[in-house]
Amino acid sequence: MPTKMNPLDDPFEAARRKCPVLETEFQGEKIPMLLRHGAVREAAKDWERFSSDAPRRVPIPSEENVRSVRQYPIETDPPEHGEYRKLVEPFFRRPRQPEVQARIDALIQQLLGEALASDEVEIVRDFAVPLQSRALTYLLNVDEKEAETWISWGVHVFKEGDGEGKGSIMEQYCRSMFEAAAETPGEDFFSALNEAEFQGRRLTMEEKLGFANLTFAGGRDTVIHTISCIIAWFGEHPEALERLRENPNEVTTACEEFFRVFIPLTHIGRVCPHATEVHGAKVEAGGRISLGWFAANRDPEVFEDPNEVKTDRKPNPHIAFGFGAHNCLGATHARAIMRSLVRQMSEKVAAIEILDSAGSVEHERDYWRMNGYDRLLVKLSRLG
Amino acid sequence: MPKVTFITQDGAEVAVEDAAGLLMEIALENDVEGIDGDCGGVCSCSTCHVYVKPDWLSRAGQATETENDILAYNDHQTDRSRLGCQIELTEELDGLVVEVAPRD
Repeated sequence: MPTKMNPLDDPFEAARRKCPVLETEFQGEKIPMLLRHGAVREAAKDWERFSSDAPRRVPIPSEENVRSVRQYPIETDPPEHGEYRKLVEPFFRRPRQPEVQARIDALIQQLLGEALASDEVEIVRDFAVPLQSRALTYLLNVDEKEAETWISWGVHVFKEGDGEGKGSIMEQYCRSMFEAAAETPGEDFFSALNEAEFQGRRLTMEEKLGFANLTFAGGRDTVIHTISCIIAWFGEHPEALERLRENPNEVTTACEEFFRVFIPLTHIGRVCPHATEVHGAKVEAGGRISLGWFAANRDPEVFEDPNEVKTDRKPNPHIAFGFGAHNCLGATHARAIMRSLVRQMSEKVAAIEILDSAGSVEHERDYWRMNGYDRLLVKLSRLG
Repeated sequence: MPKVTFITQDGAEVAVEDAAGLLMEIALENDVEGIDGDCGGVCSCSTCHVYVKPDWLSRAGQATETENDILAYNDHQTDRSRLGCQIELTEELDGLVVEVAPRD
């Protein structure tokens, strides 16, 4: 492992220059990873060749041991995918409502105020996890107290500690939430799915658990890692806080740039129903390919100085939230959180001193990548 | 100040008088159904996809290379496709009419 890793490092630089595809493997399974922007987007749209109709096998590594349910809508193909997605889209668009955005703003104001008043704060556990969990209660329109349970699950429900045990606890929790909502229906996510109709019938419990599973697992470590990467980067670039303070209109482009460079989800899988070939790499029927979102976001053919953070980068056709029909359901929420966080930090924080840190590193056969922090201890200095 | 008219997917017309700025931002300010502008105008999300009415094509201009890249795999792309975040409403575009493109 390189001695000092940084989230801005690009481990795919040489491979991408050589070929659009990296013939690699994960846990002994041969999976060609697409690396170039055009190649990834082309494959992401070609769902008949590269299918998501693969329960528990869309993530790489697959999640057959850590969950019992298929995730909806992500592990389905069109046209069913669109029908499933419509059932939950109104919840995932809630951050566009001014009152929901106001609650996100107030939450960040509170957490940032507490952090500024402390001698030091551990960003991952004491800032990002509570922020993600409590903001999710606004999205799902449930009591904010529920966040206490979610916070106890840590950064990632499956990938941290006893994944099997924790995955099972989360499934039991979700089942109990659907049952409680059936007893006392409300305006929340669980009640809505109890009432939802798909192709003229109610959803099965397995389907409802699949929606909940994606909701809790999918947007969790991704949001948490993005927050820690942004804060650490500001620690190294205090001038950027000042620049954003003077140019508040740049907060939006800055956040899109953070999504591009810090994308926590390095890649995602697709299953090939029939034997095929991708840019020279052969895939057997039932085999998988990887869509390399991260590598595509650093493609120098599309992004000038791809490993540099340019807070005013425009255009910025990144694919940090995927591409095509499966683009990230939680993108609206992630954007609402990051824009509020970056804006408020620029208004209130003068500088960030990094006291201690430990990177979260993906260690695969052909690459190491730091996609966030396991620990980020900082001291925030108040402006003025 | 120029006027612009949006025609939404259900056929409703939203006419905005004295409009200024980017077409996507004007649509958001006026709650035009089907225009979300999620990425804030950096050509990443294509949630401001519109069709320019044929009479206006030459004045509104062709899609840029980046726009075409992002729309290239969009099932609803036509030769009248543009991203609203890439069209600045100028006096020359006074009277512009665009249709909101369908989504996947």
